[in-house]
Amino acid sequence: MRVTLLTAVLALAGTTCYASIASSVMLGYRGEPGVESKLVATAMADIVPVQYLKVDAGLSFNVFQNNGVGAVGLGLGAVLFRPAGLSIRFAAQHQQWNDWQAGENRALATVEAGPVYGLEAGFGVARRVSVFGADDYRSPFVWKSDAAEWNYAYRLTWKFLRRESWWLKAGFSSYDLFTVHNPQQFPLCLSGAYSLKDNLDLVMDAGTAIVGYSGGLASFHEMTLNVGVRYEF
Amino acid sequence: MSSRRAGILCLAALLALCACEWDLWAIATRPTVEDRVRENLTGEPPAPGPVPVNPDSFQFAVFGDPQIGHDNVNNLGRFRQDVAARGIDFFCVLGDLTNDATTDEVDSIKLDLDRVGIPYYATIGNHDLFQADGWERFKQNYGPSCFPVVIADRIKLIFLDTADGTVGPTQFAWLESELQDDRFIKILLTHYPVYDGEEPTMWRLASPSERIKLQSRLGKYGVYAWCAGHIHAWRHAVVDGVNHFTCGTMAPGAPDYGTGKGYLLFTFAHDSLSWQRVVFE
Repeated sequence: MRVTLLTAVLALAGTTCYASIASSVMLGYRGEPGVESKLVATAMADIVPVQYLKVDAGLSFNVFQNNGVGAVGLGLGAVLFRPAGLSIRFAAQHQQWNDWQAGENRALATVEAGPVYGLEAGFGVARRVSVFGADDYRSPFVWKSDAAEWNYAYRLTWKFLRRESWWLKAGFSSYDLFTVHNPQQFPLCLSGAYSLKDNLDLVMDAGTAIVGYSGGLASFHEMTLNVGVRYEF
Repeated sequence: MSSRRAGILCLAALLALCACEWDLWAIATRPTVEDRVRENLTGEPPAPGPVPVNPDSFQFAVFGDPQIGHDNVNNLGRFRQDVAARGIDFFCVLGDLTNDATTDEVDSIKLDLDRVGIPYYATIGNHDLFQADGWERFKQNYGPSCFPVVIADRIKLIFLDTADGTVGPTQFAWLESELQDDRFIKILLTHYPVYDGEEPTMWRLASPSERIKLQSRLGKYGVYAWCAGHIHAWRHAVVDGVNHFTCGTMAPGAPDYGTGKGYLLFTFAHDSLSWQRVVFE
């Protein structure tokens, strides 16, 4: 019901807003040894309804493990200083793991800047609220938990290759539309796009995270890979 | 930052790494948690058996991180006095037995633990793997790094290997099968904490998904407590009905975040389990 409502809001936003809308659909894999291994389908939209406002929203579905709705994300950003791309962004996320009857709701506030010379940066704080048990884990409205915590979130990426029809970007990013990593992880990311035709790009992203570095025994833990298309209306 | 200053900082970091006694190559090429657990599950070396206790009334202590360094100083002498005074039956050590895992430190802590004079169990910490033969010597001295043991047919202690800061697929599957046994009060004992309060330090299990999966399993199977070390401090929280303890350190010099040195004491009596924190004065 809530998912349907969100989709309707997104569709309404898409038909009524004045400026740009870009939407993407992606299919990918997320694996983490001993934790989960699943296919992930995502749909996302970036909307600029008025000049100084940015909205991003998305839905993801899991297949093969923790089947069904996996995550919902909604972000709202206000541009403060256009030449540096300086903006403040507030976001809410709900992620759920149906096999484990566990979920997590997150609120995120970040200050972001860029792109400037291909560099983008962000820093902020996240409130993470884990929810356990069949009654509550699906709800994005539970904001009290025994296991709630504050995390800082950060991002620094660099578009290091730019050609006429494609680009590549790399860096580290502890948050995106659907997830917030812990400070105890060191997340690395790579993304790129290839222009298929006007307004239509082939897009990909890949990521991993180093764990255990606080104890001096670092290892790569999770792996994500997504491929899809992005269309600008 | 000027390039000169950055260069000096890099040089200082390199010198600090070279000066420490860690075998950096061994750290990079160590057996991973997956390797160690697979080895454990072959049954070699055999897991320690249950210690004999009065099944109606017994006590056991849990602490982490003696982390004995080249000065061979720790609080086990003080702990030995408590063992005699309180009649503690056995104790559990939650990893980081040594600071650098050198031969001297490994031999010294083994001697000190034996000198306490009662049976004990140990699991491995990240510092115990800082030399090429760290895992081999841990096995020789203490046995496997993950194993279950049932005390007096009442309490099941499940020792987990989280020295790498993660659980690993084989150990996760093994843990889930061990947790399904609902005849006993279940306590997990390991090096890394799962939950570290509202503002967590960097010294706990890293992955949020792994943590959420673990916490959901602990709640589902009615685990009594997750006992950890690694953070040299005392912490207690209840998450989804499960006690999460960070039990502190036995290393006298290590920072303890103002929570003092000491240990966690479990008492089983009148068919129920209770706990208290004992702080050294």
